[in-house]
Amino acid sequence: MIEKTGIVDTLEERQPYITRKQEKGQIIPLACDNNSLAGAISQRACVYSGARVVLNPVTDAVHLVHGPIGCAGYTWDIRGAKSSGIETNRSSFSTDMKEIDIIFGGEKKLSNAIDELVGIYCPPVIFVYSTCIVGIIGDDLDSVCKIASKKHNIPVLPVKSEGFKGNKSDGYKAACDALKQLIKRPEKDKAAEKKPGVNPGLKKPRINILGDFNVAGDVWLVKPLFEQMGIEVIVSMTGDSTAKSISRAAEADLNLVQCSGSMTYLAKWMQQEYGIPYLTVSFFGIEDISIALRKTAEYFGSEEMKKTAGEMLETETNRIMPEISRVRERVKGKKAAIYMGGPAKALTLIKGFAELGMEVVIIGTQTGKKEDYEQISYSVRDGTVIVDDANPLELAELLVKQKTDLMVAGVKERFIAYKLGVAFCDFNHDRVVEFEGFDGFVNFAKEVDASINSPVWKAVRQRILKPEAVKSERSAGKENIKNIFGEPCAKECKDMAVDPEFLRQNEDTAVESQV
Amino acid sequence: MTKRNYATVNPCVMCQPMGSALAFKGIENTMVLYHGSQGCSTYMRLHLAHHFREPVDIASSSLSEKGAVYGGRENLKKGLRNVINRYSPKVIGIATTCLAETIGDDVPAIIREFKEEEGIGDDLEKDIIIVPVSTPSYGESHVSGYIKALDAVVRKFAESPESPEGPEKPKIPEDIEIMDYMENMEIIEYTEILEKEKAEENSQEAKNPDMKEILNRKLNLIPVESISPADVRELKEILAETAGDYIILPDISETFDAPLREELPKIAPGGTRLSEIADMPNSRATLGLGVVSTNLALKYLEESHCVPGHSVPIPIGLLNTDRFFTELIGIIGCPIPEKYQKERGRLLDAMVDMHKYLYGVKAAVYGDPDTVFSLTTFMLELGMNPVLVATGSKSRDFGKRIKQIFEEIRPELQPVILDGIDFDSLNDAVSECSPEILIGNSNGRYIAKARDIPLVRVGLPIHDRIGAQRILTVGYRGALELLDRITNTILEATDTFTVPVQVEPAAYAGQGEKDECIEGAQ
Ligand code: SF4
Ligand code: SF4
Repeated sequence: MIEKTGIVDTLEERQPYITRKQEKGQIIPLACDNNSLAGAISQRACVYSGARVVLNPVTDAVHLVHGPIGCAGYTWDIRGAKSSGIETNRSSFSTDMKEIDIIFGGEKKLSNAIDELVGIYCPPVIFVYSTCIVGIIGDDLDSVCKIASKKHNIPVLPVKSEGFKGNKSDGYKAACDALKQLIKRPEKDKAAEKKPGVNPGLKKPRINILGDFNVAGDVWLVKPLFEQMGIEVIVSMTGDSTAKSISRAAEADLNLVQCSGSMTYLAKWMQQEYGIPYLTVSFFGIEDISIALRKTAEYFGSEEMKKTAGEMLETETNRIMPEISRVRERVKGKKAAIYMGGPAKALTLIKGFAELGMEVVIIGTQTGKKEDYEQISYSVRDGTVIVDDANPLELAELLVKQKTDLMVAGVKERFIAYKLGVAFCDFNHDRVVEFEGFDGFVNFAKEVDASINSPVWKAVRQRILKPEAVKSERSAGKENIKNIFGEPCAKECKDMAVDPEFLRQNEDTAVESQV
Repeated sequence: MTKRNYATVNPCVMCQPMGSALAFKGIENTMVLYHGSQGCSTYMRLHLAHHFREPVDIASSSLSEKGAVYGGRENLKKGLRNVINRYSPKVIGIATTCLAETIGDDVPAIIREFKEEEGIGDDLEKDIIIVPVSTPSYGESHVSGYIKALDAVVRKFAESPESPEGPEKPKIPEDIEIMDYMENMEIIEYTEILEKEKAEENSQEAKNPDMKEILNRKLNLIPVESISPADVRELKEILAETAGDYIILPDISETFDAPLREELPKIAPGGTRLSEIADMPNSRATLGLGVVSTNLALKYLEESHCVPGHSVPIPIGLLNTDRFFTELIGIIGCPIPEKYQKERGRLLDAMVDMHKYLYGVKAAVYGDPDTVFSLTTFMLELGMNPVLVATGSKSRDFGKRIKQIFEEIRPELQPVILDGIDFDSLNDAVSECSPEILIGNSNGRYIAKARDIPLVRVGLPIHDRIGAQRILTVGYRGALELLDRITNTILEATDTFTVPVQVEPAAYAGQGEKDECIEGAQ
C-alpha cells in the first residue's frame, strides 16, 4: 500500500487502480472493472459508446440513436472504419428527442423514425441504440423494434446501451447481443462437420475474424494472408461487414478473436450455439501475426497449409525486415506508454514495441479485467506502471515520472502527451494508416520513428527563448542577437533568467531524454 | 431525399452542456463538471480537444444506475469534492446533462448542501464559487448553453455581497443561491427588487456624477460561442487600442490555445479574471456580439445594473466590422485609431482586387445562427450570391434577420433560408440550390466531397483540418483573411484567372454612406 501511494499523486480512491510491477511472477492486485469515480475525469465514455464502436463498422446498417441530439452528434463517423462498399454507417441517425418526448415518451417518435428511415434507405438492418434518458423514461424499445421488424421484414435490433447502466464493457456485450440476432443458423446443420481437418480438400476451410474493425483498412491487409493459405474469411466482425455477411457467420469452422475485450462473449456464444471453436489472436507485429497464422494452420491440421503459412511468413518477414531494422536502430531503447481502450491491443503492443527494441514503461486500459491485468503484468518488465481507467492528471504525471518518449493512445490523450513534449502515436479512431498485417506494422514503425525522431522535440526543449542559449548554440555574435530580438524580448528573457528552476525541472522531463 | 419529420440525419448542432463548457473554459481557474453520466463528458471533451487541439478536462458526476434511480446527489457531491481535491479550481461550473435533468435533480439545493457540509461560504474572494446552469439538451442547442452559462456566471458575481460598491451598501438578502437557478420563477420578482435598488443607487450616482467616474470606465465585451481564440485575441487588441480598459467574458484566447510551456498546468492559465467579472456591473457599457440570439448576460447587466447594452453582429466582414467600430467609438468617444483605418483600407483594396472572382458566385453558408448572419452579410457585400443560408439551431429570428440583411444589401436575390436543419436536409437543399462554394464547419465535408464543391471551413467544429483555433474572421484583418481564403478556394476550384462577369454597382452602392458614418463617428 505504501508503495502504491508513491507512484502518482492522485485521489485516495484511485490509488488501488495504479500499481507497479515489482518482481517477476508476483501477481499484482489491481482494482479494475468498476464504474468510474465521480469527478475523477475518466477517459472512458459510456455503455453506448462501447456498443457503438463495436457495431458502427457494419456498413449497410442504419445506426439509429434513440435519444437527445448530442449522443448521436458526437459519435458521427468518429471511428475511421473503412468500407469497401456502401457507407450508410458513416451517417448519424438520431430521434433527436425533445422535451415533449421526454414527457410523453419517445416510442411513437422512434417507430415513426424507423418507418421513415426504412422508406429512405431500405437498410437490411437497423440497430436502435438506447441512451440514458430512454432508460429513465422507460420507452419499451423491445416492443417497438419487434413491431417494426415485422412490419418492414428486416431485423430492427434494440441495443440496450443506456449510458449509465455500467461502463464501456457492458456496451460491448449489448452490441454482441445484437449481433447474435443477426447470425442465422446455417441451412444444413454443419456442426457435425466442424472438426479439425475434416475433408480439407473437399471444402475450403472457413473462418470469421472477430474484433477487427477495419480502422484505416486493417482487415484488407489481414484477409489476404488467410486467403493465401486457402482459407475463406466469411466475415470480419465488424470491420467492413454487412448484415448479409454477418448472417453467414455460423457457417465458419473457426473464429479468430482479435479484440478479446469486446468479442470473446460472442465467440463463446457461437461455440455453444454452433459448435464453432475460437482462438484468440492478434494481427499486429511480426510475432503475433506469425502466431496467428501458425495457430490457424495447426488448427486445420493441414500440412500444406502449414507449409504455405511458413513460406509466407518467411517472405513477408524478409520483405519488411530491412525497414523494421532501420527504424529499430533509430528508436531502440526508447520508452513507451500504452493507454488503450481494450486490453487486447495493449498486450499486443507490448510485443510490437519489443520488436522495435523499445521498452514499455506505462501500460493502462479503460476496460481491462482482472485476468487481463494479470497477463499484462506477466508481459511487462519490472518497474512498469500498470493503471486502470486513468485520468488526465495521472497520465500526465506518469508520462513525466516514467520519462516516457512516446505514448500510444487516442485523441484525448494525444494533447496531454504533446503538451509534455512526448511523442505520440494514435492507435484508435483517428489514425489514417493501417497498423495490422505486415505492411501495417511497417506503417506503425514508421509512425513511431517519425514522432520520436522529429526535430520538433529538440526545439521544444527550450520553451522560453534565452538569447544566451541561442548564442552559445549558434556561436553567433552579440551584435547579431541584439538585432534580431530587439529590446522588449531581451527584457523578457532577463526576467526569465532569474528562474533557474526551469532548467533543472526540465532535466527531469521526458523531453530531456531526447537529447 | 424524401422529407423527414421524425429522424434526424447528421445533426448540425451540438448539445447545451457543450456550449456551457465553451463559456466556462474562458474564465480564470475554472473547472467544468457535467452532472450526468460519464459518456456525455467524455464525448464533449473529445469533440473540443479535436477542434482546439488542446487537452480539455471536463469532470463528470458519473451517475451509475443507482444514481439514476435514487438521484445523483451523492455522486455530484463526490464529484465536486474530487474536482476540488485534484484541480483546486476557484470556480466550478456545473452543467446538467439530459440524464440529470430527466431524473430531476435539484442541483442548486445539492450545491447548497455541499457547501454547508464542506464549510464553503459565499465569499467570492476566499471561497470556491460554484455556478450551476441548467442545460438539458432536449431543450435547445449549444448556442443557448453558452448564453445561459454566461448569464449564470455574471449573475453569480454581480449579485455578490462583496461587490465593489462597498460594505456600507445594504447587503443583498441572504440567499444568493436563489440566483443559482436561473429558471426559477422567483428570480423575476427578485430581479425586480434588485432593479429598484439599483435604480435608486443610480439616481444617487446621478446626483453625484463624480462617483460614476471613479467607479469604472471599462467596457464589457461578450462574444459568441463559435468564435476562435484568434478572434478573441483580435478583439482584445482592438479594445486595448480603443477602449483601453475593457472586460471580455469569456476569454478563451489562452485557455483553448495555450502556448507550450515548461509545465502542463492542471487548469489552463488565462481566461477572464474573476475580479473583472465582478466588476462588470460597474462598466460604462456592454457590447454583445450576435444579434440573432438573445444575449442574456448583456440584458441582465442592463436591466439590473443599468449598464447600457449594445448588441452588434459578430464583426465579420466590412459592414459588420464598421458597425462594431461605430458602436465602440460611439460609446468611448475617441477616434478610430489610424491602424484600423489602414486595415480597413487594405480590406477595401482587397475587395476591389477580388471583386470579379467573387461576383455572382453562388454560396451556401451554414453553422451557428450569428456566425451565419455575419458571414452572409460579408458575402453579400462582396457581390457573392448566398443562395442557401442555413443554421442547425432552431431560431425564430434567424429567417427574419437574414431576410432583413438581404433587403438591405441585395434585395433582388432570393435565398433559401433554413433553420433547425440537419446535414441531410442541408444536402437536399444544396442539391436544389447548387452552390459553387460551401462556407461552414467541417461537418459539411461529406456534402462537399460527394458533390465536389469546395468548402471553406469556418466555425465549430473543425475536425479535419489543422488550425481551427487560429482561424481569424473578426475585424478588418479577419475579413481580409477570410476573403483571401474564399477567393483562393474559388480560384483553386475553377483554376482560372478569368471569370468574365460584369461588376454590379449595387453591391457597392451603400459603400459611401458607411464611410461617412465612420467619419462622422470620428
Ligand atoms: S445526453 Fe444530452 S447532454 Fe449528454 S451527450 Fe446526449 S444530448 Fe448531450
Ligand atoms: S447520454 Fe448516456 S448514452 Fe448518451 S453520451 Fe451521455 S452517457 Fe452516453
